[in-house]
Amino acid sequence: MGGMHGFGSVVVPGCDEAYEEQWEVRTFAMSTIVGIEGIGKGGGRPIREEMEPQHYLHASYYERWLWSTEERLLRKGSIAPGEVDAWVERLLAGEPVAQRLDPGQATRDRSAISETSPLEPAVECRFSIGDRVRVRRWRHEGHTRCPRYVRGCEGVVGAVRGADNLPDIGPYQGPVEPVYSVSFGSEDLFGPSDEGRWTVLLDLFETYLEPT
Amino acid sequence: MSHGHDDVAVRAAALESLLVEKGLVSTDAIDAVVDLYENDVGPQNGARVVARAWVDDAYRERLRANGAAAIAELGYGGFEGDTMVIVENTPGVHNVIVCTLCSCYPWPVLGLPPSWYKSSAYRARVVAEPRAVLSEFGLTLDPGVEVRVWDSTAEVRYLVVPMRPEGTESLSEDELAELVTRDSMVGTGVALPAGERGA
Repeated sequence: MGGMHGFGSVVVPGCDEAYEEQWEVRTFAMSTIVGIEGIGKGGGRPIREEMEPQHYLHASYYERWLWSTEERLLRKGSIAPGEVDAWVERLLAGEPVAQRLDPGQATRDRSAISETSPLEPAVECRFSIGDRVRVRRWRHEGHTRCPRYVRGCEGVVGAVRGADNLPDIGPYQGPVEPVYSVSFGSEDLFGPSDEGRWTVLLDLFETYLEPT
Repeated sequence: MSHGHDDVAVRAAALESLLVEKGLVSTDAIDAVVDLYENDVGPQNGARVVARAWVDDAYRERLRANGAAAIAELGYGGFEGDTMVIVENTPGVHNVIVCTLCSCYPWPVLGLPPSWYKSSAYRARVVAEPRAVLSEFGLTLDPGVEVRVWDSTAEVRYLVVPMRPEGTESLSEDELAELVTRDSMVGTGVALPAGERGA
């Protein structure tokens, strides 16, 4: 969404909280557990981008997470079409939310969240620190981590962050390639501004870049 | 087919009921994850990291060299904190963090992001008019300060180390941590002045 106009103020009433209602954080927790337990297919982040654009923009943040969590479960076959709707009817008819305890799962999921897997080191880097690069112009279909507002723009490589699977294939199953920190002057992205100049820095995959 | 607000809450409860009924997810597993992010994982963790960096130059060097490893020394790490880069504010440079593509945020040190961080307005505007956005947070920077906006487009997560407030030489590390707000570690704020601890 970088550079889009018309969204209004950032600071609005209620904006300081991570969520307002328990269903939101429980949806977050379900989404996390679906990943840990391997009962979904695909990642929440790219799947949320498959929402119909008007729906995406109208939906609340955790409504998008709920949508992607359902999709992941459906694609894995863990749940079947219509099963959530059936439970909606049961709840609306007065049935309580189902409950079941499994302390082993609770312990397992909680500890899994603390595990880390840092980026692997990059080898065979096409670009070096200090190189001027241009972000390729393209109109990629599906998930990408290359924002529109930098495409076609020139920047400077500031660091090599490591190597990771290219997100655009799979998603997140492309070849392992270097990821660079690239800095851009604001005028090269947005033209002159009343604010003067500033710097915008992105982490970009090697595929996104070409020499100037 | 957009749902109304109450419809979404019911649908979330329906999904939970379905997963519980199928034996795929337990109620206490959901409770445990909620509890983790409501009580253990939040900006209080990042504040400890910043306070340590303020008082311990060797620790600051380790943070610069490998953010996630240095953060793990204090017991923090995990999802959305696998590769951490710290960016340090100075009298001449002010850093601010965003994810224009979604809502990437360093969970182990800051917890779950506030609504404004995930909003379309923040995601769209902070790269294109950062000073206007910062002014909404009450932060007006000297015109000579370089603003650096870090867009979290890959798997690196960022933590801003704000400048240590003046007049805090006598404060302990614990007392310093109380000056480090969440917004100061995102870059939409600065650390509290000495004397406003626990605000």
